[in-house]
Amino acid sequence: MPDAAATPAQAGSLVTFGRYAGPATLILSSLADGAKHGYALTKDIEQFAGVRLAPGTLYEALSRLDSQGLIEALESDDRRRPYQLTAAGAQALRAHLADQRRVAEVGLGRLNRSWGPA
Amino acid sequence: MTAPAAWAERQAERRVGRLLRWYPRSWRERYGEEFAELLLAEFAERPSSWRRTADIVAAGLLARCTRAGLTSHELPPLEQVQYGVVTLCCALAAFLTFGVAMLAQLATGWQWVAPRSASAAGGTITMSVAVGCLALIGLAAAVPVTWQAVVAIGRRNSRLAWPGVLALACGTVLIGGARHFQNSWPGTGGTGAHHGLVPAGLAAFGWASTLSVSSFWAHPALLGIFPAAQLAWMASSPFAVIGLVASLATVMRRLVLSAGTLRYVAHLATAASAAAVLFLAGAASWVFGTGPGQTGLFRPGLVDSAELLIMAIALAVALRAAVGVRRARPRLA
Repeated sequence: MPDAAATPAQAGSLVTFGRYAGPATLILSSLADGAKHGYALTKDIEQFAGVRLAPGTLYEALSRLDSQGLIEALESDDRRRPYQLTAAGAQALRAHLADQRRVAEVGLGRLNRSWGPA
Repeated sequence: MTAPAAWAERQAERRVGRLLRWYPRSWRERYGEEFAELLLAEFAERPSSWRRTADIVAAGLLARCTRAGLTSHELPPLEQVQYGVVTLCCALAAFLTFGVAMLAQLATGWQWVAPRSASAAGGTITMSVAVGCLALIGLAAAVPVTWQAVVAIGRRNSRLAWPGVLALACGTVLIGGARHFQNSWPGTGGTGAHHGLVPAGLAAFGWASTLSVSSFWAHPALLGIFPAAQLAWMASSPFAVIGLVASLATVMRRLVLSAGTLRYVAHLATAASAAAVLFLAGAASWVFGTGPGQTGLFRPGLVDSAELLIMAIALAVALRAAVGVRRARPRLA
């Protein structure tokens, strides 16, 4: 998907989410393979991350992502409104996960050197 | 659908309605329906969970704080500045209710004799200067905002008319009542008083308008010697203050202000925060000051310490709102 609209500032914007950075990362990761509504997001995140986001936390993170343009709501015929990732959201998720992978690699490397491989 | 199932569904929808009330109206208008669907699905899966309820309550209160410009979740710049300024004004109104009560006590004491303690004199001078600055800043902000409100009401904006009328009524009650009672205590206007730091009329007006902030509430026996009319004023004047602040806040939230006016008001909000910090510093220097001159009306008591604490909390809220306003100001179109 083209991401010409995303700026570097937007791409790093998960940092500004404070304690909602974790739930926001899970939501973006869940939406990375297609649009989902609130309950489907909860079930998907529970399945791939083993974490059940409580409704208040889920919607606080959703509203922050929505207001920053990282996700967008789709039209729906019923009351359940699905959300999808935007180009800016995809770039923000990619940058955030790359940062997390760097941290994980450093941590695992140091563990292996000091404590031996698992 | 069977009767028990329909009853259970109605009960679940009532629960959802109760939980949604923790959120502000604007949030409910945007997310209410889909959030209700999620909650109904959650209830079907797990009927009862106090953790879930606590999470919803906390998130609802957080959403309310966000609408007041008090969280890191920033609103669009126009809303962030406007709501932040409204919150700052409300917090400063609470701050000044207690601050003016404190200053009126010191200023009234100064009508009779100048304080011999450096902390009382320095504190009174600092608070007087700060409250003067706040009055000027308030006036500078009120002129364009009031003008725009009057124009909007003149164009038959009914959403502004009722809070405007209520603000006018509460303001009239507050000013009229304070003017009526300002010399009902000999200390605020006796013939032996000389000119102090603050004009006697102003000090007396400040004393009467904040008469409800009093340690007499803790001494029912002493309260009994007050005339009934004065007691009624002590009990009813806080409602006039709350009504005035709430209705003005409603007008300011509903008013459509231009980016230029908001930018101007945002600058004044920063200046008002600085003046309030100065006021609190003066109040603290008096309350925590020591010395042989801290006697009579210049002697700080437990109530003054409690007032100082409330003022510090109100100022913390005002400063948090000011931070949001300052961050959003450059993004105003």
